[in-house]
Amino acid sequence: MEELAIQTDRLSKTYDGSNYALRDLSIDVRQGEVFGFLGPNGAGKTTTVKLLNGLLKPNGGSCSVMGLSSTLRSPEVHRICGTMTESSKMYGQMTGMENLIFFAETSDIAMPKAKERAEELLKRMDLWDARDKRLGAYSTGMAQRLSLARTLVGNPRILFLDEPTSGLDPESAKSVNSLIDSLARDEGVTVFLCTHQLRYAQDLCERYAIIEKGKLLVSGSIESIAKGARIFIKAAVRVPDRDQLEGFERDSGGWWKTDLLREEDMPRLLKKLVTDGHDIYEAKILKPTLEDVYFQYVRSGNGEVLQ
Amino acid sequence: MKTVSLAEQAVIRKDFHEVWDSNMARSTLLVVPLLMVVIIPIVFLVITCNVPPSQVNGVDQIMKMLPQEVRHFSIQQGTFYVMTNTLFPMFFLMIPLMTSTVAAASSFVGEKERGTLETLALTPMTLQKIFHAKVLGCVMLSAIVTAISFVSFAIVISVGDIVLGMPFFLNWSWLVCVFLFAPAVTVFGVVFMVLVSAKSKSYIEAIQTSGYIIVPLILLFIGQFAGVFSLNAPILLMISVGIIVVDVILWFVTARSFQTEKLLR
Repeated sequence: MEELAIQTDRLSKTYDGSNYALRDLSIDVRQGEVFGFLGPNGAGKTTTVKLLNGLLKPNGGSCSVMGLSSTLRSPEVHRICGTMTESSKMYGQMTGMENLIFFAETSDIAMPKAKERAEELLKRMDLWDARDKRLGAYSTGMAQRLSLARTLVGNPRILFLDEPTSGLDPESAKSVNSLIDSLARDEGVTVFLCTHQLRYAQDLCERYAIIEKGKLLVSGSIESIAKGARIFIKAAVRVPDRDQLEGFERDSGGWWKTDLLREEDMPRLLKKLVTDGHDIYEAKILKPTLEDVYFQYVRSGNGEVLQ
Repeated sequence: MKTVSLAEQAVIRKDFHEVWDSNMARSTLLVVPLLMVVIIPIVFLVITCNVPPSQVNGVDQIMKMLPQEVRHFSIQQGTFYVMTNTLFPMFFLMIPLMTSTVAAASSFVGEKERGTLETLALTPMTLQKIFHAKVLGCVMLSAIVTAISFVSFAIVISVGDIVLGMPFFLNWSWLVCVFLFAPAVTVFGVVFMVLVSAKSKSYIEAIQTSGYIIVPLILLFIGQFAGVFSLNAPILLMISVGIIVVDVILWFVTARSFQTEKLLR
């Protein structure tokens, strides 16, 4: 059986002894997948990342990364992980190159290999021209890319990225996302992605967990969590204006829509419409978006775990 | 540096640069030693050589402080001897204390203030190694500044000794100060600052708090002028050993309390 990349079992954390920032979180992340960890501000996403990295100690439950206990073996966890949180800054008075060389050395990569690795990452992150500039003079986007480069210094097998595109313009966000995508697809890196940006998350992630007020609302693939929220895929057809379709609803754009249980039901539905004498101008399947699903769960605050 | 890993060496180098890049820390590391062991002794030497003893207040009191073996000194020689062995050791010992606290404030509190401590805690280094590297870096920096200061001080005082026709100033008390008392207060300054760093929100706040540890040092040496006690080599040796014991205890306490959850709070 394949080893899980990340596992939490009833993981709980309270900072003041009474209010729980995280309560009984149980999730599994498979190796090589991009896992979206979603939730509003203060939901417990950053706390989870810090617990998984051993920066915080849990008040209950346990967590592990590649089978290593985050609490007991955090230095070993850090050796196989790259972690970027909003509060983990780099050295403003050092240049981009010096920062990366320093973090390579803290991972026991000696010179000249540390320099080679720093050069490779600066080129990859499109920061080569700014390599000798102090980090303090970098724009937010450049600093964010340098932080991402830092997480990659030790060739990690797992990346924890907490809001990696926060504060970035759309172009920089797109380039960061495409980099995350290529790391996952081409290099098999497992990515634990905390984000608010649901559209990007849907493009990148294979499975998701949604948390609110420290509690897991749901986890699973988009299809499974959509089903749990009773949000189905829809068939949408455009027919002549005079036609009326039974069991369908007409939207303002003139499309007739109905729920489908499975994509495989679409051809049968179309055949039936044609048999019933309707001319079909256009037809499409509308899959539920992550945004639809997310707001359904966060509004109701009522979830279940679906694998 | 066999006992210091590559990662620890990187942290030490980085801390050195960080202290040097901070205007406040750099000026403290340069100005305090220059003032304490070069400018003040030179000014005092010039005054001793040029102001007639009759115009100096309290000369009799100063001469009474001379030990038996140098009672034959002239007023100028006696005054210079008393200053060299009572006031200047206090000035000299302020250097390891201040440089170590300033370096530690930058290394521990400054890192926390700038949000880089969390990033450092995310590296594969154990917290013990980070602690070890940071303390070692501060102690080394302080030791270098103290050593340079002592050499500068020795030159100034030796010139004074030659000008006033006195024997070389170095005695058992000074040897204890340089080789035991100064290293002991250096480590004390660093571990004290690590303790303070858990509570301090900013570098400036930490530096202000560190001001309290200079008070006992001042009282210790002022006590001699007040005639409360006389510091000789055996007493300085005992005080140094006492500080070393406190250092060891504080070292274990601070190393144990050096936990990410506490530091990042």
